[in-house]
Amino acid sequence: MAQAARLAIALVAALLLAAPAGAARDQDRRWAQLSTEHQAILAPLRAEWDRLEPAQRIKWIGVAKRYPKFTPIGQQRVQTRMKKWVKLTPEQRKQARENYRRISKVPPEKRGDLRQQWDEYQSLPPRKKPAPAK
Amino acid sequence: MNEAQFAHRVRQRLEAGAPLDARVLAQLRAAREQALARHRPEAADEMALAGGALGRLGGVRPVLLRVVLPAAILGIAFAATYVWQKQQRAAEIEELDALLLSSDLPIDAYLDQGFAAWLKRRASQ
Repeated sequence: MAQAARLAIALVAALLLAAPAGAARDQDRRWAQLSTEHQAILAPLRAEWDRLEPAQRIKWIGVAKRYPKFTPIGQQRVQTRMKKWVKLTPEQRKQARENYRRISKVPPEKRGDLRQQWDEYQSLPPRKKPAPAK
Repeated sequence: MNEAQFAHRVRQRLEAGAPLDARVLAQLRAAREQALARHRPEAADEMALAGGALGRLGGVRPVLLRVVLPAAILGIAFAATYVWQKQQRAAEIEELDALLLSSDLPIDAYLDQGFAAWLKRRASQ
């Protein structure tokens, strides 16, 4: 009985430890342990890298893996923005992702050129800007 | 005459008190004892097996089968679901961040509290 309980606990523990084992290597990876290719892509994060949360390291390695598939302009944007992105609070990042989802839901033919819309929005006098959406 | 019929007739004779000589009586006794001796260990084994099976069914094993094992399976299933969901969420965030950072708009546009709503309202006009 006690043996069976121990066995069950051991099984659950083994599963919990074994399942994310593939990711465990990435989360512990220090800057010096990154591949030269990933170091080049993630270069703007070099100073912060060893202080990043494990989940963030996994994510950035994931982003670096996707990076070659981006357009040259997309690659450039990712590199110039990543430093600012890691300095945001988790709440700000969450808010930004939420807004990204909302903006993405607007059909492209209706939203027009986003960059142009953003410029126009920024030039609005403060009182014409809508109150923050719920 | 088959074996059962023969046994029946022998029993009837014996019960009727058939006169048997000492030699036959001794042979019968020896055969009976032999048969009993041969039968007992098996019976004992069977009893032991039955007792063991009952003991297992009525003792520790049912707790193991009915409580611990399902609980362990449930625990493993929950743990697996939790790990899987966590990985799914992480993968979603990774994809979203990659899209967001490479998009047309700067980070400030996504941090702005009103831009998304303004854009939405404008698009619906």
